[in-house]
Amino acid sequence: MSQRVFITGFGIITSIGKNTAENLASLLHRRCGFGELNVLDTIHSKTLPACEIKLFNQELCELAGVPNGKGYTRTSLLGLIALKEAIQSASLSPAEVRDAGLLSGTTTGGIREFERHFYELMDPLQKGDFAQFADTANPGEHGERMADAVGIKKYIATLSTACSSSANSIMQGAQLIKHGKLDRAICGGTEALSRFTLNGFNSLMIVDPNHCRPFDNTRKGLNLGEGAAFLVLESERAVIEKRKTPLAELRGYGNANDAFHQTASSPEGTGAYNAMNLAMAMANLAPGQIDYINAHGTATENNDLSEGFGIQKLFGSDVPLFSSTKPYTGHTLAAAGSIEAVYCLLGLQHRVVWPNINFHEQMPELSVSPVRELKQEVDLKNVLSNSFGFGGNTSSILIGLA
Amino acid sequence: MAGKAQYFIQGIGMISPQKTFDNQMFLEEITTYDQNVLTAVVPDFKAYINPIQLRRLSRMLRVGLASATICLRDAGIEHPDGIITATGYGFLDETEKFLREMLEMKEKQLTPTHFMQGTYNALAGLEAVMIKCMGYNNTYVSKGFAFENALQDAMMRLDEHQAAHYLVGSYDEAAPVQFIASIREHHFKAEPIVNLNLFDTTTKGTIQGEGAAFFDLTGTRHENTWCELLDVAMVYRPETKDHLAASLADFLKANNISLEEVDVWLNGITGDAVRDVILKELEHSDLKAIPQARYKHLCGDYCTVTSFALWLGASVLKKQSIPEVVKASAFETPKEIKTVLSVSHYMNRNYAFMLMQRA
Repeated sequence: MSQRVFITGFGIITSIGKNTAENLASLLHRRCGFGELNVLDTIHSKTLPACEIKLFNQELCELAGVPNGKGYTRTSLLGLIALKEAIQSASLSPAEVRDAGLLSGTTTGGIREFERHFYELMDPLQKGDFAQFADTANPGEHGERMADAVGIKKYIATLSTACSSSANSIMQGAQLIKHGKLDRAICGGTEALSRFTLNGFNSLMIVDPNHCRPFDNTRKGLNLGEGAAFLVLESERAVIEKRKTPLAELRGYGNANDAFHQTASSPEGTGAYNAMNLAMAMANLAPGQIDYINAHGTATENNDLSEGFGIQKLFGSDVPLFSSTKPYTGHTLAAAGSIEAVYCLLGLQHRVVWPNINFHEQMPELSVSPVRELKQEVDLKNVLSNSFGFGGNTSSILIGLA
Repeated sequence: MAGKAQYFIQGIGMISPQKTFDNQMFLEEITTYDQNVLTAVVPDFKAYINPIQLRRLSRMLRVGLASATICLRDAGIEHPDGIITATGYGFLDETEKFLREMLEMKEKQLTPTHFMQGTYNALAGLEAVMIKCMGYNNTYVSKGFAFENALQDAMMRLDEHQAAHYLVGSYDEAAPVQFIASIREHHFKAEPIVNLNLFDTTTKGTIQGEGAAFFDLTGTRHENTWCELLDVAMVYRPETKDHLAASLADFLKANNISLEEVDVWLNGITGDAVRDVILKELEHSDLKAIPQARYKHLCGDYCTVTSFALWLGASVLKKQSIPEVVKASAFETPKEIKTVLSVSHYMNRNYAFMLMQRA
């Protein structure tokens, strides 16, 4: 029989906080992580500000509990910090961790270290410390390293569907539980800023040098960000057996493809519509039962228009409260889905809806607008979180109170 | 949700360092290599991709899209329900081009083509656009488990909808960057060898290969069916041969298959004297009595190389023949080949089992 899937813990690190408590405080006080870059070494540090975690790798090693840190890329370190907090918050025993699955999303693995040591690595005669990063161009490397660090043996998967990666890892973890392959899956994603990514997005001309403005008529593009988040998913059976009180239930999820263009969403938002619709169908919920949408809302012209149309098409005249939290964290790409899932969980727990910072001017194409100010004492039962990516990927997950 | 379904391979498109793109052939022409790098023997892409699009695509995207088209034509399917791809290093040649340009131009005046085509899910995305597949789309990049993750994903979805068709694919390219960066880890042999002699070597390392493969996986039998895929399992970093053997025994038991029923097993050893140790021990103990075939001398080693094993197993079952070039030692091909087992490893970390049966 199909198992229900519950969320029993989570962990997070972003530019607005190195754990859950710090993220919550920043969200409540409208503190954003946007600013000049001074950890990543790039010529764009002043011209293309982003949402950077102001900790150097040595400090991250301490936080991650790997003081020596040999071979750990920034991607692995951020992931490990969030992963350990998630394991602790769900009170998993070492045996439960060993028999869990780890599903992590990434866009570029350890490219940050690979780009830094590229010329040295391309000369096999050179010897030095850099050799620890020889395999960091492999995206799956970070997944295995994190699994090894915490002792996960049973199931390992790394997913890469660009900016929807961690939404898909949450989805796939839930599938494995539903089908009885796992009792527990720790799912999320991790993303470190790199010159590769910054220059890649810049070459696509979708980076705004100013603070991003999702769903605003003057929006000019996204800000990049870095971070990681992991959710602990447990089967109904495991929750009952351990007499745990779950934080929430993962009620539904949907993955579809826009099949429109390699790096752009369809103008009608077909993929967005389909993904949300699939998630709601799985949860057996009608549009009127959705209380909030954490939008993908990257603040690119294309995304917000497409997503906005998708939302309007699905919800008609009764669009729920929605906002994009990207101005807080920047677009954390592969980690965005799990980071925003954590923000949804915090919203459910604290009965708040996060504001869409920097929204001032209505888009004429849309008849709806996002939540501007923090809303408290909101009766939230079911929330959607959207994540879309290059390659036409559209994913949506539906989280409800347990 | 319905129970565990059956899974059938209805179509295959395989482009590898051997001439495998032609489904009418079965390893009749063998290409040899002597520099430890095996590259794909490709078809005429114009037969599969429209010429305007062709010009804009990187080599590996062409290989990938062509193999997807070969698969769909073979399956007689135009609109699969979803696309799931797997890769280890992705389009590393494209990633390298963008990276070099970025370093050489000092982060100025960059064009996005290589960045876009270097994305791991570029193939799954482009294929979706090409055949207008708006259904499920996912990409796994978990080193030596990526292809198994993708198969399992499709299998679980077929459990829910037996009539569905999933296009499950893999790609990895023999990128110079990977070759050079892994010299320090001795992933590839330091001395040049002839690929067909791979299993006679006694040194560290293997040979680099590449390939793109697509399989149409569905829950119902069809006249074109190649074989049934019974099950897939992964074992992460087994410490000993006994650990691996116990996992294999569990796997077989879960599928109600005894070792005696296995007609031929596909041995995924790589010719690496150090990293092959556990699998060789298994070969010489538990699997000793079973006829054995090997394949990495034909296609080289890469993260998603088990897709070659799946193609080989499916071909053996469909064509009811075992080419001499894959036989580990002389044995008489059984009158009926019913069951094929694949046991493989990637870098002595990612071990995987696949069980295939005549449909």
